[in-house]
Amino acid sequence: MLWINPQKAERLKSAFPSLKISHQKNSLSVEIDKDKVLELLKYLKENPEYSFKMFIDFTLVDYPLHNPRFQAVYILYSPDYNERIIVKTWTDETLPSITTLWKGAKWAEREAYDMFGVRFEGHENLVRMFLWETYPYFPLRKDFPKEGIKDTYLPSLNERDNIPSHNYDPYHTAIPTLEDLEITERKRINKKNQIVLNWGPLHPGTHGTIWFLFDLEGETIKDCDIILGQLHRGIEKLAEDLTYTQIIPYTDRMDYISALCSNIAYVNAVEKLLGVEPTEKAKWIRTMMAELQRINSHLLWLGTTALDLGALTMFLYTFREREKLMDIIEGIAGVRLNSSFLRIGGVRYDLPEGSLDVIKHFIKDFPSRIKDYEDMLTKNRIWIRRNKDVGVVTKEDVYQYGLTGIMARSAGVPYDIRYIQPTDAYPEVDFEIPLGTVGDAYDRYLLRMEEMKQSLNIIAQCVKKLEELKNDKHLATENPYVLPTLQETYFSIEAMVKDFNLRIYGEKAPKGEIYLSGENPRGELGFYIVSEGEGRPYRLRIRSGAFYNLQIFPELIKGRTVADAVTLLGSIDPVVGETDR
Amino acid sequence: MAITGNSGIILTTVEEVLSWSRRNSLWPVSIGLACCAIEMMHTAASRFDTDRLGIIFRGSPRQADVLIVAGTVVNKVAPMLKLIYEQMPDPKWVISMGGCASGGGPFPTYSTLQGVDRIIPVDVYIPGCPPTPQALLWGIIQLQKKIKEKKEGKELKEIPIRVPTESKPIKQI
Repeated sequence: MLWINPQKAERLKSAFPSLKISHQKNSLSVEIDKDKVLELLKYLKENPEYSFKMFIDFTLVDYPLHNPRFQAVYILYSPDYNERIIVKTWTDETLPSITTLWKGAKWAEREAYDMFGVRFEGHENLVRMFLWETYPYFPLRKDFPKEGIKDTYLPSLNERDNIPSHNYDPYHTAIPTLEDLEITERKRINKKNQIVLNWGPLHPGTHGTIWFLFDLEGETIKDCDIILGQLHRGIEKLAEDLTYTQIIPYTDRMDYISALCSNIAYVNAVEKLLGVEPTEKAKWIRTMMAELQRINSHLLWLGTTALDLGALTMFLYTFREREKLMDIIEGIAGVRLNSSFLRIGGVRYDLPEGSLDVIKHFIKDFPSRIKDYEDMLTKNRIWIRRNKDVGVVTKEDVYQYGLTGIMARSAGVPYDIRYIQPTDAYPEVDFEIPLGTVGDAYDRYLLRMEEMKQSLNIIAQCVKKLEELKNDKHLATENPYVLPTLQETYFSIEAMVKDFNLRIYGEKAPKGEIYLSGENPRGELGFYIVSEGEGRPYRLRIRSGAFYNLQIFPELIKGRTVADAVTLLGSIDPVVGETDR
Repeated sequence: MAITGNSGIILTTVEEVLSWSRRNSLWPVSIGLACCAIEMMHTAASRFDTDRLGIIFRGSPRQADVLIVAGTVVNKVAPMLKLIYEQMPDPKWVISMGGCASGGGPFPTYSTLQGVDRIIPVDVYIPGCPPTPQALLWGIIQLQKKIKEKKEGKELKEIPIRVPTESKPIKQI
């Protein structure tokens, strides 16, 4: 589980006598007073015995009946010792900003302010992260209703006489006016140069609905800020009202390009919390599906990035292969895109007959396709000129901003969750992790191409193993937390009662907390779950890899041209569903 | 429309010609909001290929006549989406793709717009989460039917076409 050695944590007490250490089954956290927290974090970061250099996540948890009300949670990672630690503190209104220690905390603190209304002293520009500036509420507080305050009359504009068939409420939560959005924009950036250019939010080149603000001098970008929240759907708030199984479909809709990988990260965290062990076959199916999805995701990246840089042909070629992969996923999981294939304790369906043959054929066919792509791009003069030396990331940046995934590996940091904290069948498969040397956009292109080949390698091993495990079970239904299959529900009364209980009351997880992550194609997707012993999580925090990776964009783009912004954004490859949640 | 003989003459109304040309060259704005946008891209790409229906995605709303709302519309993006709709020249149509755009879908929260028809009128709703490319094509064909059925302006009665009778040789005296 990668938590810090308890003896090592005890030794912290000599420097900080007021420290409280809580050692639970799934986590190890230290708690300290608010005025000492900055000192402790600095000590943890700079002391070579601990060296928690890498910033993973920061969030708040609301306890309305506790005094002080909000619990702040910092999650750090030490690359030297391969350990994680959780630092906690309590506050009512303000917290010291840790942006002096880690630049990556800037957006996380903005988000905490946006969602809980806690102010940060020493933050350079504390504005709302997802909602607009004139929004009066703090939605993740426990006393705010999930549906919001419905105070605006917004009837349907369709010309029709009959009443809508569904339960249609003409009153709706307030939507901002264009003036509100202008205030939001003005608070982010002040015009110091010639022009402030808006790129997005509804622009075909922004890969979704990201809103960029560029302060331009000629064509050179002097200052930049990003407005997120154009796809903020409130998944974290929704999750507090759902059982653990009901949250699985929402994880699909976060990172919709790699839905299965998100499922796996979430389900693994919940399984560790509940103490469920999936069956052997399910583990191998999961790994195989995750790697298929990774190829699928990288193909979409390749197609759209090449399209943005002017190579339309690549888009059509990669989408041809994507269709094949989508058909395979549809055949196994039942749905093309957001499949929600995973269940706690296994997978939804057993592998259908002939599915492994299709995958074997795909493995045979795909290397020649990759070669085609590489022939077209790798030594293409335009491609090299557009990509070389754009957005160079250093090792220091990786730790400062908490960059993960391809962004970290292009800088030469071997940070891959499949390797440092393997789940499912990853400890048993053989694969290599490609690392970059320069850290620019061209390196990231090469790494993604190599990752696709490594994924093929993993899939081949999974197929071989799955052929041996043909008659095994795909769902560990003997566990009290695992939903029975449809067959069992129909033919046994015990299974029916269990099914009813789990669906109505949810999986009653023991009291505690957990942080577990999975390697998404976009970086580390972590889930921090706080359970109060109920059938639903008390707080579900999603540590999105794309959110932290995108944060370095304003720094990398300074002094470069607008044309490079397209390349850089393509090489970071964010998905707005995941950054905004 | 009526084709007379093989002489190369078509008799029709201006309205019919306009409707025919509009429904066979629907140009949508390429705006992707969320998951449905991926399926929209798939519809436009190699396998399903919307170009064969005359559908070409345009980058600018000024050149487009269909708005495919593909994905969740949240409150923050709603005024901007409305602005884009207003920038499109008439006549214009809106396809609401997927559950989120049609009625909020699985997100009944403080930040999500519960149905895009609260800010812009919708012509065709496509169910699904996300709808498959086939479903989007079905929606587009439904829109084409709707455009065909809709009679704009004064309804004209069909003028019977006189078929020239066979000429007979003149009686010889």
